[in-house]
Amino acid sequence: MSLEMLAYPFLFIALFFESFVLVTLLSKPARSARGRSHSTKIPSIAVIVPCWNEVLTVADTASSLLMLDYPADKLEIILVDDGSTDATREEMSRFAEHPQVRIIHKENGGKHTALNAGIAVTDAELVGCLDADSFAEPDALREIVSCFDNPRVAAATAAMSVHKPKNILQHMQNAEYAFGITLRHAFASVGGIYVTPGPFSFYRRDVLNELGGFRYGHQTEDMEMALRIRRAGYGIENAPRARVYTNTPATITSLIKQRTRWISGFLRNVLGEYRCLIGSRRHEALGALVLPIALLSIASGILLFMLMLFLFARNAIAAIEVRSGIPLSYSLLPHGAIDWFYLPANFYLLIAVVVLLASLALITIGKRISKATGNIALGLVSYTLLYGLIVPFWLIRATSDVALGKRRGWRN
Amino acid sequence: MSLVARNALIALFITIALAGTVAYAINYLNSARVAELSTIEEQLSIDSLSLETQFSLLESAPCDSNASSVTLTTELADFGNRLLYAENQLGSGNSQVVRLKERYSLLEIRDYLITKRLSEACGTKPITVLYFYSNEGDCNDCDKAGYALSYLRDTYPALRVYSFDYNLDLGALKTFIAVTKVKDTFPAFIINDKHFYGFTSLADLEKQFPKGALSTTTPKL
Repeated sequence: MSLEMLAYPFLFIALFFESFVLVTLLSKPARSARGRSHSTKIPSIAVIVPCWNEVLTVADTASSLLMLDYPADKLEIILVDDGSTDATREEMSRFAEHPQVRIIHKENGGKHTALNAGIAVTDAELVGCLDADSFAEPDALREIVSCFDNPRVAAATAAMSVHKPKNILQHMQNAEYAFGITLRHAFASVGGIYVTPGPFSFYRRDVLNELGGFRYGHQTEDMEMALRIRRAGYGIENAPRARVYTNTPATITSLIKQRTRWISGFLRNVLGEYRCLIGSRRHEALGALVLPIALLSIASGILLFMLMLFLFARNAIAAIEVRSGIPLSYSLLPHGAIDWFYLPANFYLLIAVVVLLASLALITIGKRISKATGNIALGLVSYTLLYGLIVPFWLIRATSDVALGKRRGWRN
Repeated sequence: MSLVARNALIALFITIALAGTVAYAINYLNSARVAELSTIEEQLSIDSLSLETQFSLLESAPCDSNASSVTLTTELADFGNRLLYAENQLGSGNSQVVRLKERYSLLEIRDYLITKRLSEACGTKPITVLYFYSNEGDCNDCDKAGYALSYLRDTYPALRVYSFDYNLDLGALKTFIAVTKVKDTFPAFIINDKHFYGFTSLADLEKQFPKGALSTTTPKL
């Protein structure tokens, strides 16, 4: 048995997962969700902006909220300064006189405490969160509100894109976020959502209060809340055209730190308090497909990377050995005719290409569904070239953190 | 059936269909490779026979003819490279690969004999290397030796390299091995009738060649 065969089950599962997403996108519930019109209901809404040292972006975030297309008497903006040590407090004070804005200063206690502080001071029917590094499009709230026409829906998520991607890494993340738009849209139609991201997710306030508000959630309070909502039997919807743009890490180091937090939070939540959801018949898509495949994708990401590394090292060593003593002018150049005969096609490689092409298709679909601004072409290129090489680093880091019980700070 | 179960079932069918299509495409490509090799092999057989016939027709003055096995040897080398690639893709136990290797070995022996006859008739001294390797796990240096010979062949076009799988079950090859008295110690070389075993480095291999043999000018055949 060749070593490549170890990868076959993982590639087969990846292909199955992407096929499932594509089929689900074509199913009636997803088509209906895409055709959903704006609700005639106008519930009162509070948007909480938790801030910790966000002096550079909080004003723009607050301004984007004030430009939302929603009746002013029904929309309240709550800026929560979670004990910032920079000039966030002063920056917030620019909005102190605005009738729609309420400002809260508190001691630093973490994002979940800032959210709870905001929830505590409002009696709005829907409560949303917008991270202080994110900006919503004016019609985003109307799109979100439509999701709550169904009384069993306790939360709704938006369509996130990267805010003005500048470097290749941010373009790669933009493609990844477009992939996320497709996934959340498909998952929502079969009840498979397990995270309500910080940028512009909304909740029924009475459900939040019933469930006891936000918790620390292993530094992923949004995921922990979503899992708790699902465990309680409520639904989570998605508004694929509720466009929201967020700032993303610009360096590999900061990206790996952020994703380590996300993945370790996922593992700690899902393998800990919410293990009961895995395989749960009551939560069909979530329990039988989404969570098991998410766990499997972490394992396969690490294993495939290790396998790739091993095969590369083995082949490189063999090539160096064979070429030792031969002049570099010969050994460094490729030899042989350029001919279809030498096409390096094998089952492993072709299946991997199909998986990649399906991923690129799902990214493009996400961009089209959300109608997000910007060009995705650079994102597709950088995703193809970089994503598979970078992801294993945070997967390995997060998995080892969980296995060794290591806890890191929010920005470490 | 629930929507999730239905979608999962459809997705499973799509996955199986895609995997099946990929497997079919790979199989088709490999069949096309074997077909290509068969075509080349047939052409080489004709070329080889043509050369032999020309040689016989002009027995009285073979050196005046246009008969030259240089082109044939180059084509043989290309065929050998393709065969090696196909062997890596399909496995050395593949029956079609084994059959083509047998035909390849026969063509090599024929070309070697023609070259020898021409050199005797014309008084030329071509440099020929008979290289015997083994695929049965008893030759650690065969890959290195093969690459070094490729380098020498590409660098010195006048060099004629014939490589043989020592363990190939082919009567003519067994006779050839018996006639050349090459031992089963690998890699084994016969450079202009001189036996040499093992491979340490390119420099050591080059020392086994006659003086001045490794020059980039093509000697008259």
